[in-house]
Amino acid sequence: MNLNLKSDKAHTFDAIVVGSGMTGGMAAKELTERGLQVLMIERGREVKHIEDYDTAMKGPWEFEHRGKISIHSAEEYWANNRFGTLANEETGPFFTDDKKNPYIEKRPFDWIRAYHTGGKSMHWGRQSYRMNKKDFEANAKEGIAIDWPIRYEDLEPWYTHVEKFVGISGQAEGWDVLPDGHYLPAMPMSAPERYFRETMMKKLNRPVTIGRVANLTKPQPWHTDLGRASCQYRSKCARGCPYGGYYSSLSGSIPAARKTNRLTVLHDTIASEIIYDEKTQKAKGVRVINQHTMAVEEFFAKIVFLNAGSMNSAALLLNSTSSRFPTGLGNDSDQVGRNIMDHHLGVGANATVEGFENDYIFGQRPNALYIPRFRNWGSDKKDFLRGYGYQGGASKSDWKRGITMNGFGASFKEDMSRPGMWTMGFGGFGEILPDPSNRMFLDKDKKDKWGIPMIVFDAAFGENELAMRKDMMASAVEMLEVAGFKNVAGFNRQDTHPGLGIHDMGTARMGKDPKTSVLNKFNQVHACKNVFVTDGAAMVSSSCVNPSITYMAMTARAADHAVKELKKQNL
Amino acid sequence: MNRRTAITHVATMLGGVLSAPTLLAMSRREGHTTSEGFPMEFNLTESQKMIVEEVAEMIIPKTATPGAKDVGVPTFIVMMLQDCYKTPEHKSFVEGLLYLENKQFLNLSAEQKMAVLKQVEIDSVEEMKAYQIQQTKMGDNEDREQMAAQAKGLPFWRLMKELTMLGYFTSEQGMKSSFEYVPIPGKLEMIKMKPNQKSFAY
Repeated sequence: MNLNLKSDKAHTFDAIVVGSGMTGGMAAKELTERGLQVLMIERGREVKHIEDYDTAMKGPWEFEHRGKISIHSAEEYWANNRFGTLANEETGPFFTDDKKNPYIEKRPFDWIRAYHTGGKSMHWGRQSYRMNKKDFEANAKEGIAIDWPIRYEDLEPWYTHVEKFVGISGQAEGWDVLPDGHYLPAMPMSAPERYFRETMMKKLNRPVTIGRVANLTKPQPWHTDLGRASCQYRSKCARGCPYGGYYSSLSGSIPAARKTNRLTVLHDTIASEIIYDEKTQKAKGVRVINQHTMAVEEFFAKIVFLNAGSMNSAALLLNSTSSRFPTGLGNDSDQVGRNIMDHHLGVGANATVEGFENDYIFGQRPNALYIPRFRNWGSDKKDFLRGYGYQGGASKSDWKRGITMNGFGASFKEDMSRPGMWTMGFGGFGEILPDPSNRMFLDKDKKDKWGIPMIVFDAAFGENELAMRKDMMASAVEMLEVAGFKNVAGFNRQDTHPGLGIHDMGTARMGKDPKTSVLNKFNQVHACKNVFVTDGAAMVSSSCVNPSITYMAMTARAADHAVKELKKQNL
Repeated sequence: MNRRTAITHVATMLGGVLSAPTLLAMSRREGHTTSEGFPMEFNLTESQKMIVEEVAEMIIPKTATPGAKDVGVPTFIVMMLQDCYKTPEHKSFVEGLLYLENKQFLNLSAEQKMAVLKQVEIDSVEEMKAYQIQQTKMGDNEDREQMAAQAKGLPFWRLMKELTMLGYFTSEQGMKSSFEYVPIPGKLEMIKMKPNQKSFAY
């Protein structure tokens, strides 16, 4: 036998983290800070904080198509731009070329990916809300799917832990529906927004608050220690922020992990399989393929964290077959890849606001208002389950109002250089119920250019979501009308698909019973406990709040548990 | 409300990561999910190019600040139509130019030109309504690829006005001379308008 011990040693770590995004970054930080040597595997290109933010400081005129999508780019980024303009010239570097990374749609799925260091944390919406107590109990109470194996109290200290580190600006309000966290000073509301907040409370008893957003309004020492500075109110976050004003893995968790000198990062490296050891009944490492050279290598570790994004983490489990797990690692329950959830959106209303002519805003607020769930909450009862929250706000119209107005020439030109009237609008983010028939799986025959089976999506909104959408539009219209705004118009886009919320989750759910779930209450694969899945795949229900902070809290909790178990030699 | 406004608002709801100027033009490129080939090369005659120049300058004339021609808007419009629009818009744009050619637009007096454009603007209101009905019908239909290819493009006046405004107000000179350009605000403040307050641009 010809063992290359040196190379084996170079390929062996305490932990392997697959993915460098929102949860991969947090896993690497938490594990390295607890003394583990960590290998982080990122399938995409390396992006260096600040120096690789190529579009960050460009003026509008420096983008050839001024933010519009060329036909060429629309074909490359067909999933990103099927509905809107996610991957435009400003933000394109942080989205993934769909043509080069194809997937199959049995039913349409808007799969938005971010294959590079930092993943989707580079362009996330940064809205950060805790799930509430009832979110964790609803499945059990309503007999939907399975119960969560944890409750709010299990996650509460970890929410605080990650909120402090991330840095979230917001207002504590004391509402059960939207538990307060640890916040930096809140961003201000504009004059019409303050009026709206008061009116909604007075006339409809519906609370409105300023968004809780991962932008630093008052950096704390642990933020500045990592080189992060206050938000500059440019609202160009998705280009990458040279000030580290918003949280991403690149500005936060990865630098923190690097400080320990225990982090190794491999880029352009696709994790193709988890290597399962039939003797020890544990995973012993990960097989990878170099994105460019196609070279295959193996890396070994005591524990493996899957943080590849819900769909890719599930795909990795499904592709890791062995005689113990013929249908994929941890897939005894046949739940891997099922129960895809997201938040459905594209529904809301907008209006014009009369008055407040003398009010204006200096700076661009990278944030909006938040209207927490009021449906099926307290005494409210509707003919659908669960609820939705709204995000939106007021803005003073600029030159673009002229496109739909009549008029041209010198005085029109002059008029366009001044602010117009206020407009106000918001759209909902609705909870999606788990449904095992909403799923992704691996195609038996078709493989990508790395020889990995292609992912097939087969998911759609159900009756509950469609009923909720009608109410989402009607209530948005109602609120703007009650506020006395004019030209109120509702919208309910019919051409959105699951995935577009970019909150895709649920494909390896936690649960108490290994027969009906993939992960236990600490995100460990039931039958292979040294594999942890701590991205959105672990979610048992979706709540209606933006999920990243929950994923991060879950990750930190799982990392803490993993290290304790390692010390007890249980893994 | 029209689809464009809907998209703009909805995209804003995605968390505010998208800046509004990028969201104006998506509603008519419904057909890009499968490869139906790139549009034919978009060519204008010399006289048509001169009409584009003239109309752009009439929408945003040179005053104390630069006009559309000064900042290269006419070239921008042709480039944008070639790169970002498909056959239906190419057709409707050329139709609009042919109409003006028939009117001997370039030979008209300033007053006559103004009268012709005002009429074009009035006519485009109905064209826009028809366009929106067509887009709504198209919705998420199974055969919308095919429908999109046969559909009528955005009216000439809408294309002309939108691209002129986009080209002008996002050009360096147009932006800096029209607005108070603040690339790095550094703070967020709710303020009162000053007399003759210009818009802030970021």
